[in-house]
Amino acid sequence: MNLLLGVLQQMALASVPAVGFGMVFNVPKRVLGYCAVGGALGRGLRYFLVEGAGIPVEWSTLLAAATVSLLGVAIAQRLRAHPKVFTVAAMIPMIPGVPLFKTLIAIVQIQQKGLNNELLSTAITSGLQAFFVVAALAVGLAVPGLLFYRRRPVV
Amino acid sequence: MNEPNPIPKPLPLTEPQQREATRLCVETGLTLLQYGAESALVENLARRLALSLGVERAEVALLANAVVVTSLGSGHCITTVRRNEDRGINMHVVTEVQRAVLDVEDGKLDAAGYRARFEAIRPLRYSRALTSAVIGLSCACFARLVGADWASCSVAFVASGVAMAVRLQLVKLHFNPLVNFFLTAFVATSIAGQAAIYSLGDTPRIAMASCVLLLVPGYPLINSISDMVKGYINTGLARGMYALLLSAGACAGILLAMSVWKVWAWL
Repeated sequence: MNLLLGVLQQMALASVPAVGFGMVFNVPKRVLGYCAVGGALGRGLRYFLVEGAGIPVEWSTLLAAATVSLLGVAIAQRLRAHPKVFTVAAMIPMIPGVPLFKTLIAIVQIQQKGLNNELLSTAITSGLQAFFVVAALAVGLAVPGLLFYRRRPVV
Repeated sequence: MNEPNPIPKPLPLTEPQQREATRLCVETGLTLLQYGAESALVENLARRLALSLGVERAEVALLANAVVVTSLGSGHCITTVRRNEDRGINMHVVTEVQRAVLDVEDGKLDAAGYRARFEAIRPLRYSRALTSAVIGLSCACFARLVGADWASCSVAFVASGVAMAVRLQLVKLHFNPLVNFFLTAFVATSIAGQAAIYSLGDTPRIAMASCVLLLVPGYPLINSISDMVKGYINTGLARGMYALLLSAGACAGILLAMSVWKVWAWL
């Protein structure tokens, strides 16, 4: 029950940034709704896979991004627009922003205060986490092209 | 049984027609690249457009800041280069260009019709006030997602909303994006830092971390990896490096604000 509530909360909270960043990317008004649904679905699915099924966050991210992307292809063909138009905005709630900035700040601290184990391990672990999650998002979005639309365009 | 109608073979393009088709093709590729489409899509659409305008063969090469198109037809080829400058991400333009190219493919538009439609595309921009408010809400949601209390969410809302307004104003004044990210991060962290100084809310550190998330270059980061996965290593590396530079600019702004106000968060 707690898990379900958690999923629903994550989905509701994730749909707002998906639309917000969709507006920053100037996604057409009629398509913003798909950003919200994709953002909610992706984040909700990832939360479920991490918390419910115990799958590591990078693999969960990959599965969530691939699911959103596959559903996005169907919608994109109806809209006559590339799926990336709205699926990237839907991935924004899963972007590892905090680890990314943490890495850079830790690197600056190393330069100022000298090397110590704590800073070095923060820099490396956050940096790797940011890299792997971003890579999982990008590869997940590419899944329809890699698996099903190998020699032909999606739209 | 009727004789199957032989499909009339299209006449080879005359030189002016081929020149026009090449120009349309390179301008299409350039526009898509400028407004943030991924390299595979740029190359694919530019080539499909040239072929459906009747060019025998079209080759598109993408560099980090230029587009090169060569079209082959009736025994000679035309090559043209356009320099690319970044115009910011605009999915509306990408959508409209793609729909126009699809109409050419379906035979609904000819070269002149495509040019008229292509040149009539005006980039959609949402109003600055609305965008700032929604980005404020988005960052408040990010804060809530990692367990901030309501007071800290409000702080994140105000800090990132103001920061987004500053960012859009700096874009309007044509500041370099790196300067823009630096200043915006400084403003956001300064506002959220005040909440930490006057102890507003129980989770001021989460507010300080969430309010700069509007500066994470998510689109360039994803585009960078997508490009490289699909074999466009050079544009992918260029985009990735630029995304990293933008993050470093934001990071410098955060650090400056934290040392000016002497509030330390993040680590």
